[in-house]
Amino acid sequence: MIQVEGLTKIFHDKKRGKVVAVNNLEFNCQKGRIFGLLGPNGAGKTTTLRILATMILPTKGKVMVNGCDVVKEASKVRRQIGFLSSETGLYDRFTPRETVMFFGRINGMEDKAIKKRTAEIFHSLDMENFQDVRVNKLSTGMKQKLSIARSIIHNPPVLILDEPTVGLDIITAKTVIEYVKSFRDQGKCIIYSTHIMREAEKLCDMIAIIHQGNLIAQGTLAELKKNSSFDDLEEIFFELINQGENLE
Amino acid sequence: MSWKNIKLIFIKELVGTIRDKRTIIAMIIIPLIFYPLLFMGIGYFGKMGNIKSEEAVSKIIISGAEFAPQLIKYFQDNKKIEVLSAIGDSQSNLQKGEVQAILIIPQDFEYKIKSGESGQLILKYDATEAKSSIAQKRINQVIEKYKSEIILQRLSRLDLQEEFLTPLILQEENIATAEKITGSFLAVLLPYLIIILIFAGAMHTAVDITAGEKERGTIATLLVSQISRLEIVLGKCFAVMLISFTSMALGLVGLTLAFLSGASIAGGIEGVQFGISINTIFLLFLVLFPLVGLASAVLVMVGIFARNIREASSYITPIYMLTVFLGIISISQGMELSGKMFLVPVLNSSFVFKELLMGKIYWDHILTTFSANIIIAGIALFGATRLFSKEEVLFRS
Repeated sequence: MIQVEGLTKIFHDKKRGKVVAVNNLEFNCQKGRIFGLLGPNGAGKTTTLRILATMILPTKGKVMVNGCDVVKEASKVRRQIGFLSSETGLYDRFTPRETVMFFGRINGMEDKAIKKRTAEIFHSLDMENFQDVRVNKLSTGMKQKLSIARSIIHNPPVLILDEPTVGLDIITAKTVIEYVKSFRDQGKCIIYSTHIMREAEKLCDMIAIIHQGNLIAQGTLAELKKNSSFDDLEEIFFELINQGENLE
Repeated sequence: MSWKNIKLIFIKELVGTIRDKRTIIAMIIIPLIFYPLLFMGIGYFGKMGNIKSEEAVSKIIISGAEFAPQLIKYFQDNKKIEVLSAIGDSQSNLQKGEVQAILIIPQDFEYKIKSGESGQLILKYDATEAKSSIAQKRINQVIEKYKSEIILQRLSRLDLQEEFLTPLILQEENIATAEKITGSFLAVLLPYLIIILIFAGAMHTAVDITAGEKERGTIATLLVSQISRLEIVLGKCFAVMLISFTSMALGLVGLTLAFLSGASIAGGIEGVQFGISINTIFLLFLVLFPLVGLASAVLVMVGIFARNIREASSYITPIYMLTVFLGIISISQGMELSGKMFLVPVLNSSFVFKELLMGKIYWDHILTTFSANIIIAGIALFGATRLFSKEEVLFRS
């Protein structure tokens, strides 16, 4: 569903000069699977996901989402994806019902279809009791549920989730993780970035470890363990990073 | 480009703005309630202060009263003046405010009056003190009265009539129509007020829906939708235009109410008759709309460029100051623009407003202003859309 080939992104920064944020990434994500991008802050996770979500353009390489090219067919790609990150906010002065109605409409849905889908989502996310309360009155957990509802209103086959649990308390974070699992069960292709090892271990079917813009390993958790002298993902992660730095 | 998508953004921004308490305060409460109350208060206290000062008796010291007994009689007849005898340093009494004025009469005063010369008097007062100024006016009136009396005496000594001193009488008639009087009265301030209200009304919304969206992280959710960048920018810009126009209209209504309520309390309005023709109103709108569009497009562009609301505000402050400056130029009387100057945005509108309110219709000025402002607004919109497509602008940190 997602094919990434030779993806490179170079920024030009006034102070730092040329910055290679992402260097020659190659990976594939399958339908009904959660693909984890694991790396510390500044590794290039957000940049990669922004390219996948058509928000920024790649410098080099090719990215296909459900058969559509992110550069040439950006609009088609946007129809296929739901995007959620720790930084995406909500409109404070709208209610959850108005929020999803707006996002349904700007994603080209008809009002009747939006209403039907909203009822389903609000029921499954247990949002019915606060669907008409303005966002600025909602708790963090309620807001996160609404963010999820907003990103899946148009029923996209692909979900791009950029550190969706950052800044959440453990109970809300657990709820988010449960929903991500349920989306996998619905057959969606999910790409999930995180810097939390436990989350990657529990959730991801495939894990790609990136460091300083480079992909240093990828595989299932079992495969990563097999190729390492350690059994714990955190230890494996540090081992791989050290190997990467020694090679440089 | 789809109008349906532009409308979606437009309505979203309008609803969000109307639900913002700050908008309601800035658009409705301040102009429609606060301004009238403020002006009423100013009018009321101003009037009270005036009444108090007018009613109070002016205390003055006359030094050398014995040298002008006739003049002193005039002072004694005036009930609003109380002549005190000088005790100690009269100058310091004046400075302390114990007396409001000092009149000094020289020894040879009476002699000079009688011999047909000019008798010199010295009046000391404090122009910064309202009471002292009133005392000065009252003393002047008394002296004028005495002066007329002396003139009459001198004329009769020469066997001349009073008319001898007024060989010419000029009678003036003002033929200005009610429309022109209204126009010239409004033409001084109205263009400036319109411009300031348009910019002030657009600022908050323009920043909130651009830099504010970046700050709150909602912009990314728009970018991954089916709506194009141009549609987003147009929807936002139209919303700012409507808010800016409405707040200008409400601001003008509020200021009119404020002026009328303040003035009626302070003592009524004289000489203002309202009368503007339909044609003038139509032409005013023709010039107004491109200006509203220009203000909105420029402010939206700046808002998109800024990282956050604070940064946007600091960029907008100098733009606002420049607008105030360009608006102020139109207030100065007698200033006229040459043809090319009508290409300068804001300045052109303020002068065309002024001309229209004075009943002058110069089509070349109107068309130049209209086209110049439309073109610049278009460039700003284009710039805003370009900025909105630049990842280094959207994701600057």
